[in-house]
Amino acid sequence: MGDQAVHRHSIFCALPPQILRRVAEYGTEEQREAALRTMATDNTFRTLRAIRLAAPVTAVASTALTVDGQVQRTIFDARNRTSLPGRVVRAEGASETGDVAVDEAYDGLGDTHEFYRTALNRDSIDDQGMPLNATVHYGRRYDNAFWDGRRMVFGDGDGVLFNRFTIAVDITAHEMAHGVTESEAQLIYANQSGALNESLSDVFGSLVKQYRNDKQDAAEADWLIGEGLLAEDVQGTALRSMKEPGTAFDDPVLGRDPQPGHMDDFVRTDEDNGGVHINSGIPNRAFYLVATAIGGFAGDRAGRIWYAALRDPRLRPNSMFRRFARLTAVNAWNLFPDGDEHRIVRDAWRQVGVDI
Amino acid sequence: MRVQFKMEGGLAHFPGLNQPVTFDTRQLSAEEAGELGRLIEASGFFDLPETSAPRRAAADGHRYTIAVSSPEHSHTISVEDPIEETSVRALVDYLRMKTRELRAASRARGSP
Repeated sequence: MGDQAVHRHSIFCALPPQILRRVAEYGTEEQREAALRTMATDNTFRTLRAIRLAAPVTAVASTALTVDGQVQRTIFDARNRTSLPGRVVRAEGASETGDVAVDEAYDGLGDTHEFYRTALNRDSIDDQGMPLNATVHYGRRYDNAFWDGRRMVFGDGDGVLFNRFTIAVDITAHEMAHGVTESEAQLIYANQSGALNESLSDVFGSLVKQYRNDKQDAAEADWLIGEGLLAEDVQGTALRSMKEPGTAFDDPVLGRDPQPGHMDDFVRTDEDNGGVHINSGIPNRAFYLVATAIGGFAGDRAGRIWYAALRDPRLRPNSMFRRFARLTAVNAWNLFPDGDEHRIVRDAWRQVGVDI
Repeated sequence: MRVQFKMEGGLAHFPGLNQPVTFDTRQLSAEEAGELGRLIEASGFFDLPETSAPRRAAADGHRYTIAVSSPEHSHTISVEDPIEETSVRALVDYLRMKTRELRAASRARGSP
């Protein structure tokens, strides 16, 4: 695949888009690969975006110098209290501790970092080697995990409804992806922009899980978010299904999975910040459709298209589904001008009721 | 005194877990009623701001809404994870625990 550190300073980064496109079409295999990667991660976009935004952005700042491309993880133990970050229990390079939540968080962060680095040429959350911090054993029987703006925080679950929240790598990657979305697009965490924000975390969470499963084929993936998280007696398999939104659980206590898979069923509510975890089912299913129609490991093409759309300067904090959908189609064409990807993308969005 | 507790947000939306639960101190044991009253008092509940501002850049945290009404006072607060004030956190944790017990009992009875 090539050395990522070398690529970052490659001549391809200096080429204008039309030249890159010609290289992508007519170059040697190595040149085509380099050009396609550059088009997916062109830093020109970042400059344009910085100029466009003008207004101050909450920087997700690195607090330590890190070696280019290398992960720096620190796992903290809140010891069942709610003071953050807690006590350091495993630093980067340290061996397994025997505390399964600590070690799962450590491995999950490592896999997530590696996926972003190798599949998307991204160096951690902020693309500048931001250290990855996670706190486990937060609270007492705390049935949740969240991103607090700077770190990931995991509860142990109550053992009745939920297992520990580090159990599923896609949950860890989901939280980290919130940091990436904040770094790139600052999608407002409410209503449609919030549902997009949530969906992007599910998309990249799924891709990390599939990446860990030997880059499994999209057709083989289960497209479930948080499988293994629901306790044994709960009637459900996961938190969400990207393949069939609304089918992940139907339990007397949890209720029924409320996710729609089509705009006709869009849920208008004041709950959950305007349904950010509910209506994310619609863009989730669009991604599933794109990934399975393209085939192969979803991180190779569908994931790169979605990542390019996330980084597109035209994606604004208050963008709705249609804007994002259009950007996925445009970026599909930019990345794969001779392929069927952009048609597949348009068709997928049409299938979920978003016409572009 | 009636205390209504509602939780929303979190990593996923569970309709069953987002239903508000109401505790009436007249129907609690003396110990439970006492503990609840103590936690409400310790948090300075009736002087707390109604809503904490949404945290910038945070995601998947729970938001807790607590409404307390008595013959003398009536007040509602809404706070989001992670909760910084220890006394408010203690009240939320207690209400979460009691809600969980209530739901576990319902589950054992076979009804929601």
